[in-house]
Amino acid sequence: MLDALIAIFEALPYLLKGALVTSGIVVGAMGLGLVMGIHMAVGQVYGNRAVRWFVGLYVWFFRGVPVLVLLFLFYFGLFALIGLNLSAFAASTLVLGMTTAAYQSQIFRGAILSLPKGQLQAARALGMSDIKAIISIILPQALRFSIPGWSNEYSIILKDSALAFVLGTSEIMARSHFVASRTYHYLPLYITAGCLYFLLTWLGVRALLKLEAKVRIPGYSQ
Amino acid sequence: MAFVMALFMVSNGDVFAKELINGIDANFPPFAYVDKAGNPGGFDIESVNWIAKKMGFTVKHQPMDWDGIIPNLVAKKIDFIASGMSITPERQKVVNFSIPYWTIKQVFVTKKDSKLTVDQVLKGKKRLGVQRGTSEAEWLKDNAIKKGWDFVLVYYDSAPLAIEDVLNGRISAAAMDDAPAMDAESKKPVKILGTFGMHDEKFGYAVRKQDTELLDTLNKGLKMLMADPYWDELVKKYLRK
Repeated sequence: MLDALIAIFEALPYLLKGALVTSGIVVGAMGLGLVMGIHMAVGQVYGNRAVRWFVGLYVWFFRGVPVLVLLFLFYFGLFALIGLNLSAFAASTLVLGMTTAAYQSQIFRGAILSLPKGQLQAARALGMSDIKAIISIILPQALRFSIPGWSNEYSIILKDSALAFVLGTSEIMARSHFVASRTYHYLPLYITAGCLYFLLTWLGVRALLKLEAKVRIPGYSQ
Repeated sequence: MAFVMALFMVSNGDVFAKELINGIDANFPPFAYVDKAGNPGGFDIESVNWIAKKMGFTVKHQPMDWDGIIPNLVAKKIDFIASGMSITPERQKVVNFSIPYWTIKQVFVTKKDSKLTVDQVLKGKKRLGVQRGTSEAEWLKDNAIKKGWDFVLVYYDSAPLAIEDVLNGRISAAAMDDAPAMDAESKKPVKILGTFGMHDEKFGYAVRKQDTELLDTLNKGLKMLMADPYWDELVKKYLRK
């Protein structure tokens, strides 16, 4: 028992660096997913038939294929095909980002559709262009409604990031395995890894709750 | 977006052409592992560091999933593999190997108090653990059919994980190289049961087929290292304690 604790204590700085790698992947992926997801959601709700069709196809593909398959597909196949020799970290972040974009687009789409239709018409009647109306009337509300769903997506992507090791990214899980291979303290190390994931989930969800409270509009109801 | 891409590309190492990346299985002590400080360590790592210094290149050791290590080499994500890789005809179809530097026997490992014999593991309907993507996994699978052995192969990500499951009692024995088996013996209540009839294997460094220059460099370096007293020091430190 004591030597297990010593092993964890010694490995902690190494595992914490892994937590940084994991955080990097998750922040990068969620950021990319946010930018892509908003555009796709707007495109799917307000776009013409071609845009709607394209977004639908994208979402169908990325939601239908397992993340593990996507990682291999892009890293060894598609990225190489177009001459992009990305690092494992960059590739994991991009693939997870593109995957979460598909899910996030549906979170935002749901939020946009929950707004009364009359708002856009009213904005047009006031002389706003569609783009201006979407940016200053629709999205500020829709994004607020999206925060709970988005924090859900955050905790899912955080845990999916453990798959990044198949490409050689040394994140929390990979590092725990390395240390356990040397010390044979599997259970204590996996518990430590679990605690690190728990901590990261808690911090992220907590921060998003704070954000939700901060951007809440007093007295606002749909 | 283009800027982000450019940033990623630079960090990939193309710019630092002189730094070579050695892909390792960091779950393979004593040849390759991650030490207490979190740095790659082990017999192969120290050998390559010595060779790099003598031959005038810098090297970075990149821990990878063993299962995908050859695809990673072929896809140019790493430049060579010095991580206890057995030279096999199947692998030689895809990569070139350096001169052999270590001979390894394949052994069964069981619990320390186990009364099993090698024969009982082979023919007693036992569950036998093995690391996925290794030469012993291939050999056991092929020969089980040929020789009518009736064990059930159970696949693991690493040899130490198979050891862990021997201790858990989920499998009766695990097949692996003798060096990691001895490492396990020194750390856990397991014992080496003995060899099971698989031919000896030789370890070599793997490089891409087209990288003949790198192969020459590594071969030259290996020869120098094996003739140097430092080699015996490394062997004593890691492999014959």
